[in-house]
Amino acid sequence: MNAFAGQRETPASSPFVSATGIRKTYGGVQALKGVSLSIEPGEAHGLVGANGAGKSTLIRVLAGLTQPDEGDIVVDGRRTDVSTPHVANDLGMSFIHQELAFVPGMTVLQNIMLGLPKRTHFGIVDWRQIARDVEPIARRVGVSAPLDANVKRLSTAENWLISITRALIRKARLIVMDEPTAALSAAESEKLFAIIRDLRQSGVAVLYVSHRLDEILELCQGVTVFRDGNSVAELAGAGLTRQRLVREIVGGAIETSQRKAASHLDGEVVLSARGLSRSPKVREVSFDLKRGEVLGLGGLVGAGRSELARLLFGADRPDSGAMTLEKKPFAPRSPAAAVNAGFGFVPEERRAEGLVLTKSLAFNLSLANLGSIVYGPFMPLVSGRRRKALAERAVRDLAIKTAGVDIPVGQLSGGNQQKVVIGRWLQSRPKILILDEPTRGVDVGARAEIHRLIRSLTERGMAVLVISSEPDELPDLCDRVLVMAEGRIVCELEGDQVTRHAIISASYAEAGKREGA
Amino acid sequence: MSEGSHRLSPAFKSALGIFARYATIIGLILMIVVFSFLSPKAFPTYGNFINVLNQASLAMIIAGGLTLAVVVGELDLSIGYAASLHGVVVTGLIVKNQLPIPVAIAIVLALGALVGVINGLIVTKLRVNSVIATLGVGTIIVGVAFAYSAGVPIVAGVPEEFLQLALGRWLFGIPNPIIVMALVVGALWVLVERTAIGQEIQAVGGNPAAARLAGISVDRIKILGFVISGMCAGLTGTLLASRLGSGTTSAADSYLLTAFAAVFLGSATLRDGEFHVLGTFIGTLIIVFGFNGLNIFGAPTFSQYVFQGAILIVAVGLSSLGRMLAES
Repeated sequence: MNAFAGQRETPASSPFVSATGIRKTYGGVQALKGVSLSIEPGEAHGLVGANGAGKSTLIRVLAGLTQPDEGDIVVDGRRTDVSTPHVANDLGMSFIHQELAFVPGMTVLQNIMLGLPKRTHFGIVDWRQIARDVEPIARRVGVSAPLDANVKRLSTAENWLISITRALIRKARLIVMDEPTAALSAAESEKLFAIIRDLRQSGVAVLYVSHRLDEILELCQGVTVFRDGNSVAELAGAGLTRQRLVREIVGGAIETSQRKAASHLDGEVVLSARGLSRSPKVREVSFDLKRGEVLGLGGLVGAGRSELARLLFGADRPDSGAMTLEKKPFAPRSPAAAVNAGFGFVPEERRAEGLVLTKSLAFNLSLANLGSIVYGPFMPLVSGRRRKALAERAVRDLAIKTAGVDIPVGQLSGGNQQKVVIGRWLQSRPKILILDEPTRGVDVGARAEIHRLIRSLTERGMAVLVISSEPDELPDLCDRVLVMAEGRIVCELEGDQVTRHAIISASYAEAGKREGA
Repeated sequence: MSEGSHRLSPAFKSALGIFARYATIIGLILMIVVFSFLSPKAFPTYGNFINVLNQASLAMIIAGGLTLAVVVGELDLSIGYAASLHGVVVTGLIVKNQLPIPVAIAIVLALGALVGVINGLIVTKLRVNSVIATLGVGTIIVGVAFAYSAGVPIVAGVPEEFLQLALGRWLFGIPNPIIVMALVVGALWVLVERTAIGQEIQAVGGNPAAARLAGISVDRIKILGFVISGMCAGLTGTLLASRLGSGTTSAADSYLLTAFAAVFLGSATLRDGEFHVLGTFIGTLIIVFGFNGLNIFGAPTFSQYVFQGAILIVAVGLSSLGRMLAES
């Protein structure tokens, strides 16, 4: 391990940062159950794990964006409280997130210097002197744009380099990179790797968070694997292999199966998609959805699943490709058109996209069924009695825990809110129901109830499409699973093939294979 | 979800919530009581109350229309200018074009609806922020009004029948504008609170993304909000021209401020920062009673501006306080 030139001496063997026993609970859900992570100076350290394993939460803890409930963070041998992002910065930790935070109208130089004290003459910022100071660092990192260019016009790759420059100007000794190559081409990625190696030479450590295992294997000396809020493995040297990583990420969970007999897999096709594309997230997707089946869409976050769902539901229009609904051409121009054609949609962000939080349960439950609660087609007045009856029936059928149907839906727990969004579609009996992350942030009991509910819908002939990033959800729920990676369907699993292991390894295998494509 | 945000104690929060919800109604009652004590002869009389309601009616109609625009989540700054234009046009059609009064009124209401459609299309299809869109349309409308009237008020030759529209007392000796206001308030209330389309209107205002994904045509509902706002401006403009006996450019401009204050006061009434028709009605009463009191006590003109400006700020403040409490 290299010692960092020009910094106060640190014993070469001691880690720059070590976090031990970090616990964090969000509203009853344990995101971190006591994880540990240690990074040497000048090391490129990988952090891997399935969606929801706790990687992002740990990064937030290190960045001072959230406080751990328990655990120690030691930087440079001293125990510290990273109480704010400012403290993290002073400790020499810089964070580069997937969505880069730049001020669009400002220049490269202004963005690099954002929030830093600047050299002034009588209160006037001396940009020329600052530019002379920044220039060599920016060039070393490989920034090719002039420092006075507007960041708005630059590529994602260039933005990454600017972010790294910004970190170095702040004398960062650890740069945390979250999915750095997600939006980079193969050539740009190679360039980034070269820079990371160069950073290591000068003693700067990198925490490399990625789903792309091949990159991790190429770059990192040590890798920490998270699973379900625990750090389950620390691998280095000969123990660091692709197989081992996948095994640790997946874990040895017991496979449970409540799947139905295979007869359901022969139902008639309701919705058929051929070659659906919408740049850049959905590429050439073809599949059939059959009556009475639960079809799962698996894959990593960012694989294009939600974007595909938006195409099916008319929220976005495809660039190319076609769909048929019950053998007739189907090209919804809006969600309203899709609903009329027999779709229902339970969005991923239930609070932002599913509910009118200040309105009552009854209001939210009846939103897709207004035709059924009015006095008649020529008397479009809402019958309070009918609306109440509809809401109370839904509360009973779905076992929604609430003090009444008139209280604002914002006051319910997450699981009960989700039941309200699903309940909206029970009355209107759509032919196809699309659920995006139906049990995210929902407790175990409500999750089981929601699963039972989804299954009961298919018994009435409804076709259900479930998108889920939770490793156990799709095997529990689905008759058939399509795994997506980089916008394509890369694998189809049926019946007994639908296992947690198969889904996760398909996601990773393909992500690796597509790299540089 | 920032961990640093301090939390208010529940008791304090609920007390604050009750204050926010009933503050406007308490304010209205207090104002009436105080004025009654201060001026027992002039203020608390049947005649004066009818007079106040009569004054309130034109403001209420235009504010009721504005309520629909804000319920769907947009602002309509064109209503004052539009009402002025409509007043000029309705008198022009009657005096210059010799059109029958009902036809002239029907044309003006259609014109109001057209302004609403234009506002709505600019906001939903061109995705221009509604403040900018309606400010632009409103300014164009000022120009149209000047072009139509050459800036000269249409006074001569306004028929008595047209004046009787606002001045007459055709039912139970109650001034006509009060009757019209009652009908408009009733219709708007039923539309928003009791019809199926009203549920869609509320959903679009409450969470457009959720409404869209529930299968509601958000754009159409927003345009509808602007259309109703525009038609109410047409009605207020017509009644004002009838009351003044003339079509004057800029006659109704000041209704914009009154309507906004009424709508925001209303949103702080009974519900937590949610716009609703009944609230707007109470908001209008507060403002008009306030003006009436100031008039009776012979307060100087400047104080009326101070009152109107202050009440707008208080109204929006109460409204956002209510919303903050509902969300926390």
